[in-house]
Amino acid sequence: MIVYTRSVYQALLTKKYLTSKLMPILAMLAVMLSVATILITWSVMGGFLKTLVNSGRSLIGDVTVSWPNVGFAHYDELIGMLEEDELVEGATPIIETFGLIQLPDDRIELITIKGIDVQSYNRVTNYEDTIWWKPIDEPTAKDKDASDVRLEPDYTQAMEMFRSNAMTLTRRNPESGITEQAGVLGVEVTGLNVRTHDGIYDPRSFGFRALPDGGVERVPGFMPAGGSVGLTVLSLDSTGKPVDPVTRTIPIANEFQSGIYEIDTSTIFVPLDVMQEMLRLDEARKVEVVENPFATEIDPETGQRRPKRSEVIGIDPARVTTVLVKAKEGANLQQVRDRVYAIYQLFEDKHKGEVPSSFSMDNQIRTWEEMNATMINAVKKETGLVLFIFGIVSFTSVFLVLAIFWSMVSEKTKDIGILRALGASTPGVAWLWIRYGTAIGLIGATVGTAVGIAVVRNINGIHDWLGETFNLVIWDPRTYYFIEIPHEVEIPKAVIVFVVGVLTCVLGSLIPAFRSARMDPVKALRFE
Amino acid sequence: MGDQSTQSSILEVKSVRKTYKLGRVKVPVLHGVDLTVHHKEWITILGASGSGKSTLMHLIGGLDRPDRYPEDPASIVYGDRVITSLGAKALDRYRSTEVGFVFQFYHLLPELDVLGNVCIGAMIRHGRWGYVSNRRSVEKRAKELLERFGLSERIKHRPAELSGGERQRVAIARALINEPAMLLADEPTGNLDLKTGESILEVLAELQRDSGLTMVMVTHDERIAARADRVIRLLDGRVQEQTAPQSV
Repeated sequence: MIVYTRSVYQALLTKKYLTSKLMPILAMLAVMLSVATILITWSVMGGFLKTLVNSGRSLIGDVTVSWPNVGFAHYDELIGMLEEDELVEGATPIIETFGLIQLPDDRIELITIKGIDVQSYNRVTNYEDTIWWKPIDEPTAKDKDASDVRLEPDYTQAMEMFRSNAMTLTRRNPESGITEQAGVLGVEVTGLNVRTHDGIYDPRSFGFRALPDGGVERVPGFMPAGGSVGLTVLSLDSTGKPVDPVTRTIPIANEFQSGIYEIDTSTIFVPLDVMQEMLRLDEARKVEVVENPFATEIDPETGQRRPKRSEVIGIDPARVTTVLVKAKEGANLQQVRDRVYAIYQLFEDKHKGEVPSSFSMDNQIRTWEEMNATMINAVKKETGLVLFIFGIVSFTSVFLVLAIFWSMVSEKTKDIGILRALGASTPGVAWLWIRYGTAIGLIGATVGTAVGIAVVRNINGIHDWLGETFNLVIWDPRTYYFIEIPHEVEIPKAVIVFVVGVLTCVLGSLIPAFRSARMDPVKALRFE
Repeated sequence: MGDQSTQSSILEVKSVRKTYKLGRVKVPVLHGVDLTVHHKEWITILGASGSGKSTLMHLIGGLDRPDRYPEDPASIVYGDRVITSLGAKALDRYRSTEVGFVFQFYHLLPELDVLGNVCIGAMIRHGRWGYVSNRRSVEKRAKELLERFGLSERIKHRPAELSGGERQRVAIARALINEPAMLLADEPTGNLDLKTGESILEVLAELQRDSGLTMVMVTHDERIAARADRVIRLLDGRVQEQTAPQSV
């Protein structure tokens, strides 16, 4: 059988053209660079998003049931119902509110206060992982000279104590010897922890506080060792009306780093019962208010008349603003969310009138993705924008290949005439150039993908080398919150970039291929 | 000289006209050429530059098509096939199997070595699988041809490393690789010195004589034309006369 297209001559000429010319090597380089650039950008941005999301997720669980400010009662019962479900790993109550924090230098800042039950909170979130002051065995990735204070053997015992304090939210008062309830502060809140370019924290040994007489006073710089803050919250009654501001001094047990700057600069964890007490969300007796201030009654113990006292008519149970739910491994979050909502409906049926209606709760039961939609979407859009811009830049390689092929077809006009004279068909000649473009695309995209993966996998090493050799620091942990450049090569992304790289070349070779096919063989033979 | 006893025609050209367009200007090159070529005959198309001899050869070789005049349709018949009516695919097959081209400027592919240049015609003819199964026999024939033309030591050389005469011998070997019945040679010695040209002519004459090849040669050199069985004199796109070589 005689085959007139896709012949051996195309393979032979493709090989010869690839190896005997500079232009195809330039085209391959262009494709390689485009593919590698896109892959590196996509991987770094994807890694950034994933790290950001995981960090954001670390302290909020998978699904939240939230009724802000006034909170809802009988939360222990709701948690019990939730934990019986097969999709739920665990649940924990928290109180989330805003307040004012008075820092050691007397600065007053707005702060997010989270009242937590530390044991259950740690089961539902990665709380323990976020605790900063604790003994570590290995230096962190950028800490080349192992200067992290947490590595110091002399401090191991102290660090162990700080960790223990964080896990109980307590701290022993060195003066009174009494163990007090304490808080865990975001590591960036006080500004007393200096973040170095090694990505570690260097705590100041002391800070300063201005005095009314114009002088200054030293204050503890390392908060877990004697530092305290003042917290002020506005308590509300069960109907949501403000009652009065409550201020309390909270010793600091430890500090945490979630990886999200917004959280680490403006969050404090305190014991749940402390917050319930401050916000008057704790268990309270319901009393019948005495309307006549001059009413009297007989004291049953003394038999004497006394002003009439309010009568206890019931107990107002403690409340929390949020229940965090952790899903079972591998469970579909939307499914878990729907299940949580269904459980809440049952819960509401049992406590009609005492807890927010399930109708109102429909928008308040959300997955962590929904909670962080703004942040996630912002990074996703940023990633999309960067990819779009690089995509346009890389699309120029189509025109580069087109220009190179156009030029090569012109240069090889006589060859086309010869091939036609020898019986090559027009599709055969066109296929020669498409095949040639495909070969350039395959080689360029393969090398580009390999280079891209190699660069992404070693991006921090390359970055360090650039810093050491040329003093070029792009990713400074003092500026960016992650110690290392986040990166992740996902195989589907690499495959997409590879395929697009090859298609780019095929696309660039199409017009020159059709031009060569339409060439008049006689004119081609006479071409000078 | 060819075998004069074989008088059946292999090629019949009738009323062939060709006009080229140079921008807006139409330039008629052939004005109705009639011609018959017999089996195993060596004919020479003789004419001055611009007389249309190369154009006629391209038309005979199926590289180009004549003008269409319905009132006096042109036809080129090769054996029992009307070349002028063939589709593109059949015409490609005709060029790869029935005719072999030899050009004045050799037209070798510079990236391929001598063996590659000779075999490429067979690669085109046989296609991928056909060539794979025929590769040995094709390469054997290519080497035989190259040996016959004194190029057996040059098979790995590129065209740029060869002399003009060697290049033209490679081109002749390429034209013969598919064992065509007709060789079309366009000024095959036009780019060679006298001595080398003479040796090339010897090669062609020997081939034509020994292999019974039909050969159509285009030249403007009457001395070369004198070696053919028959001379077709072309003047301003018309056949002026057909003569035996003795009268040239």
